[in-house]
Amino acid sequence: MNTRSIRFRLAAWHAIVFAAVFAALGALLYATVREYLDDTLMETQARRAQQIAETLLANASRTGEDYVVREIKSLYAPELGDRFIRVTRNNGSVLYVSGPPNDQSFDPSKVPAAPGEHTAEFARQETLSDGRSMLIAAFRAATADGGSYLVEVGTSAEPVDRFARHLLALLALGIPLVVGVAALGGYVLARRALKPVDEIAVKAEMITQHNLSERLPVTRTGDELERLSLALNRMINRLDDGFSNSKRFVADASHELRTPLTVIQGELENLASDARLASEVRDRVGSTLEEVERLGKIVQKLLALSRLDAGEAQEEWVPLDLAALTASTSDQMLLLAEDKRIKVVCEADSPVIVMGDQARLKQVVVNLLDNAIKYTPHGGSVRLSVYERSGHGIMEITDTGVGIPPEALPLVFERFFRVDRDRAGGDEGAGLGLAIVKSICAAHGGRVDAESVIGAGSRFLVTLPVSVGQKHAQAR
Amino acid sequence: MRILIVEDERKVAEMVARGLKAERHAVDIAENGDTGWAMAHTYDYDMVILDLGLPGMSGAELLRRIRQRNVQIPILVLTARDAMASKVESFEAGADDYLTKPFAFAELLVRVKALLRRGPANQVSVVRVGDLEIDRLNQKVSRAGQRIELTPKEYALLNYLASHPGRVLSRTMIIEHVWDQSFEGLTNIVDVYVRHLRGKVDDPFPTKLIQTVRGAGYRFADESSA
Repeated sequence: MNTRSIRFRLAAWHAIVFAAVFAALGALLYATVREYLDDTLMETQARRAQQIAETLLANASRTGEDYVVREIKSLYAPELGDRFIRVTRNNGSVLYVSGPPNDQSFDPSKVPAAPGEHTAEFARQETLSDGRSMLIAAFRAATADGGSYLVEVGTSAEPVDRFARHLLALLALGIPLVVGVAALGGYVLARRALKPVDEIAVKAEMITQHNLSERLPVTRTGDELERLSLALNRMINRLDDGFSNSKRFVADASHELRTPLTVIQGELENLASDARLASEVRDRVGSTLEEVERLGKIVQKLLALSRLDAGEAQEEWVPLDLAALTASTSDQMLLLAEDKRIKVVCEADSPVIVMGDQARLKQVVVNLLDNAIKYTPHGGSVRLSVYERSGHGIMEITDTGVGIPPEALPLVFERFFRVDRDRAGGDEGAGLGLAIVKSICAAHGGRVDAESVIGAGSRFLVTLPVSVGQKHAQAR
Repeated sequence: MRILIVEDERKVAEMVARGLKAERHAVDIAENGDTGWAMAHTYDYDMVILDLGLPGMSGAELLRRIRQRNVQIPILVLTARDAMASKVESFEAGADDYLTKPFAFAELLVRVKALLRRGPANQVSVVRVGDLEIDRLNQKVSRAGQRIELTPKEYALLNYLASHPGRVLSRTMIIEHVWDQSFEGLTNIVDVYVRHLRGKVDDPFPTKLIQTVRGAGYRFADESSA
């Protein structure tokens, strides 16, 4: 799972916020309930202590202590009600203490004596020596003869504690559950909301300068994503316009250049063949003519490129044998290599059938082989091999030439790019040969790649889809 | 021969006209399609050179009309568009040949000559230039009685050069005839082959038959200079 995806982060934030809110709510709830229960219990004890003190002990001097004890026993029956009652005289001696309660929740004999500093009424929580906890409220009753009794009424804090523990357990279990559900919900929700983003991303990956007429999917939801996809589509529109403008410019410009070039070339040819001119002048005219011809070639190549860009490669679309084409082309160029004592090895024995335009694919072989020979020093070697691998026809041209510097490697297929003007020694190309190779490969649904080691040589790899029709024919 | 040039670019038309006049042809120029049509059906021309991109009546329309009226007349089309589609279109409309701008003037002359002759160049089976002899039937070459062994490409190159003695042939023309269009732009291949050919045909002999014309291409010596 991608922890940096919006989906994951949204779900995580969802979970964190939910966890924080529920934890705070839980703590508040726990504290409030706990306090309320403690208060209520204490209040009950306090009321009872006051009742005993005011109704019985205040009159003890008149009714006698025995009466009071009897009354407490009969009216309050502390043992049955699991309650603790203790009456202490002014001098510290205990008048009455209740017996062990029914539920054995505390041992009355272990309840320590009330601290002496309090006078009127007070409440305390007492932890007994056996670890049990009690809530005790005390009330001091003054008698008519000036004496006083301290009435203590208490009960075990256990039920409240138990309830609190239950509540805590409930919260401890419930909150993670709720947070988990919230996180899952957040994840699912985010995924649903972001699904169009995935679709847009997939489609956007597929858009290159060759299919700028295509558009991204637009979800008609009226939300931010619709706005985003519309904005991106408008951007592609502008790119499309820009690209077709520049393509049209190249095409128009090369068309417009042709007529003046024709005139210049024709006039210069006339001049060059004029025997009356001094040979020096004729030589200069010839030199100019060479440049004019070169200019004409560049214009022609640019036009060819712009036509390939416009998808006009499919003039002739036939199944052809790439291996045979490569072998025959390299035969035709053998003398170029022999001239530099370069050994050309061609391994193209088994047919590799691809669909395409024969003349254009031949141009790929010509341009790549010409390059290989051009950049390989005397006595080197060039190896050509054509084979089929996983549904692709592959043509490999490896030379033992000067190589291409790594920083130039990604640029060699760019128009007008040349690694080094001096390398080939009097190279008259315009740096369009490899750009044409790339365009032709792209127009055939294939690609061309280059790898190189400086000083050791270069390898160009042309990959073309194998003709499907041919495969069917072989299967039959 | 009388030739009609229909071309709206005045300078191109004049240049072509001058070159054709130097070859002793009579030349008329029409600057748009309508004039071209008027002239084509008023006078009797031996050949029409036609630019496809014309103001007024389009070149393609004019081509169709001329062809309808005269099935025999050779028509050479000039165009700034070299898309295969327009090439095919103009052949379908009845053009006999096709040249893309910018073209070498020498090439225009070669094509005009071929169209006017109506038929492949030099059908004779043995060509003799000076002491060089090309036996086309057996594809054998000899000079001053000595047999010269040539590779098939060298033979094709020599045969093409020798078919147009005295004419300048540009490297582009040579590539298109001896190799094919895929080698376009690979002009140094011509130089390499010419060098090898010279080594066999010219170097052992005092008279050089293959001449380099700076900036233009190569020329094969004709009878007078050989």
